[in-house]
Amino acid sequence: MLKSTHKAVAPPPLAEGWTEHKAPTGHSYYYNAATKQSTYTRPVAPPAPVTAPPPPTNPNESFLQYKGVGSLPSAGPTFNNDGSQGQFQGGRGGFQGRGGRGGHDRPRDSRPQPTDKPKTRHPIPGCEPWVLVHTKLGRRFVYNTEKDQSFWRIPDKLKDGILALDQQRIKEKAEALSKAKEPVDSGEAPGAAQRPGQAAAAEKTVEEGEAAEDSSEYEEVEVTDDEEDEENPAKRQRTEEPGQEEPIEFNEDDIAFQLAAMGQEYGLDPGEYGDDNMEEWEEGAEGLEMTAEDSAALFKDLLNDFGVNPYSPWEKLVEEGKLVDDLRYTALPTMKARKETWEEWTRERIKVLKEQRAREEKKDPRIPFLAFLQKNATPKLYWPEFKRKYKKESEMRDSAMTDKEREKFYRDHINRLKLPQSTLKSDLSTLLKAQPLSTLNNATLPSHLPPAVLADIRYISLDPSTRDPLVEGYISTLAPPPESADEGESEEAVKERKDRERRQKALEDRERHVAEEKRKQKKSLEFGKGKLREEEAEIARAMNITKKGLKDHLMDLDDAGKPS
Amino acid sequence: MPAIRHASKRKAPPAGFTDIEDDLLIFSNKMKDAENETTVNVPRHQAHWKIFQISHQRSRYVYELYYDKEAISKQLYEWLLKNGYADAMLIAKWKKTGYEKLCCLRCVQTKETNFNSTCICRVPKAQMKEDQAIECVSCGCRGCASSD
Repeated sequence: MLKSTHKAVAPPPLAEGWTEHKAPTGHSYYYNAATKQSTYTRPVAPPAPVTAPPPPTNPNESFLQYKGVGSLPSAGPTFNNDGSQGQFQGGRGGFQGRGGRGGHDRPRDSRPQPTDKPKTRHPIPGCEPWVLVHTKLGRRFVYNTEKDQSFWRIPDKLKDGILALDQQRIKEKAEALSKAKEPVDSGEAPGAAQRPGQAAAAEKTVEEGEAAEDSSEYEEVEVTDDEEDEENPAKRQRTEEPGQEEPIEFNEDDIAFQLAAMGQEYGLDPGEYGDDNMEEWEEGAEGLEMTAEDSAALFKDLLNDFGVNPYSPWEKLVEEGKLVDDLRYTALPTMKARKETWEEWTRERIKVLKEQRAREEKKDPRIPFLAFLQKNATPKLYWPEFKRKYKKESEMRDSAMTDKEREKFYRDHINRLKLPQSTLKSDLSTLLKAQPLSTLNNATLPSHLPPAVLADIRYISLDPSTRDPLVEGYISTLAPPPESADEGESEEAVKERKDRERRQKALEDRERHVAEEKRKQKKSLEFGKGKLREEEAEIARAMNITKKGLKDHLMDLDDAGKPS
Repeated sequence: MPAIRHASKRKAPPAGFTDIEDDLLIFSNKMKDAENETTVNVPRHQAHWKIFQISHQRSRYVYELYYDKEAISKQLYEWLLKNGYADAMLIAKWKKTGYEKLCCLRCVQTKETNFNSTCICRVPKAQMKEDQAIECVSCGCRGCASSD
């Protein structure tokens, strides 16, 4: 990537008695403590507009600061661009644009206006003070460097010279083509492509002593520099800072800034966001439309995913605010719709839960209690002691079992523990044999015995270390389970899952679409704002014609009258 | 006053109570907070608004569980009413047309008002003169007409 060679040059020193300050808005302004005057325009030490610059001791320096061309067509040709982008302003301070005159009466916030600017200039052979200036938009005008005059209409006396210039240029172009981009002699070469990356070197050459006013090389360099600005997006941010330091001039920085602004306004945006992308999105949006059902279903998915208790009140859900962060929360536009969907969902969900419970074998409360007994019961403790010791345990507090039942189980269990092992073993085998083949068969896992076995006191009487091998041995002797099929359920589940994925995708597409819409809207808003700003600035400018400005204008008119 | 029995000796609530136990607990905690809130800087008529509100919410919760969603059994519903988790009289009003959203029983007591009329919150929003925000004196209701 090309790097900009532009350097912010320190502004000329302030006149005596003036101090620089920063306004809250970031503008710098200048205050004279002696006269108690304040101004936005920079009062330079040698008052530029009034007196001529003193003979420079260092010609290079003076050249940099007050290049004689000064303000180019400040009151000269103004033109509207096709985009109604306001007017071309004040040149670029003679393609150099630091310090000089011109543009003093222009408000600083006239930034985004000019879309046109001088690009190259060529001295017209035969008519020496006159130069031909090409603008960025391909228009051209003539400019008299000595009288500070410029005209769109080419005066008759210059026509021959310009004709010659054109011919020469065509020739050069042909040569350049044949030479295949070999650098042409810099003198009259019009091509700004001559040295795209060497602007830094060029600036040095400028300092090396090209004080001559019609040195076109320098201009070319400047043009190159500027074009880089325009192409190099990294530059854009930077140009703002130096822009603020020089509140007076409508200079390079300003132009660069304007270019950046313009680029933001329309030129670059479509390219950046990409039309093809948008087409894609539209396609996607067309392909997956979000219906009301879909959005409701999305919201229900959300409720499912967050494990919302269908029995809880709506207010609790709202207060907790867990769901708000999820994208699917926005699937429904209003709170009312959400509540309705939630109600529907709770109804469904409660129904499902009910069915599940009905289908599910009653979870026997005795199973956990018996397991608990086997673990903790000892013949050393009476029931009241045992109860007191374990009163905090959930098995002992379960409301599904009464205390009486518990006591009975406890006593039975303790009594059975005193029986001989052989009796207990035979009891266990009779218990196992009593189970039907549908619940207990050779496919049964020892960890998933039927509840009828687990809820029996005979099952826990034996110690697990002796009991488990017995049970496993018995299971292995059993026949395979009688056939039964329930695959319809799984199919249903697959369908459900697919549906869900589709809805998710639809939501994502919609989000993307919305984001794109938002961006578009923002863009148009910014564009509108820019336009408004422009108009405001124009009005301000119109209001702001000072006596001097008027005089300038009149003088220019007078001057223009003479040669043409 | 009868002796309060220990939880383990009490008869267990009907099946399904465990589903709603936590939410009822939240309600009762809220109610406790409201009861213990200081009323120093609160206008006198507003002191009980919070309590009315919570009891309304809880009654509504039970009512919806039983009548709308059919999530709880009749036994459990009756047990809840008996144990004061919901206001049976208020629920009785909700079943009547025109009283579907009634905020509290006081607001329909015409005999308690000066002009023998119901509370302002019973007036439909459409019939109010302008968009005035009202909060009724008895329970702070902002409007509980069925058409709202």
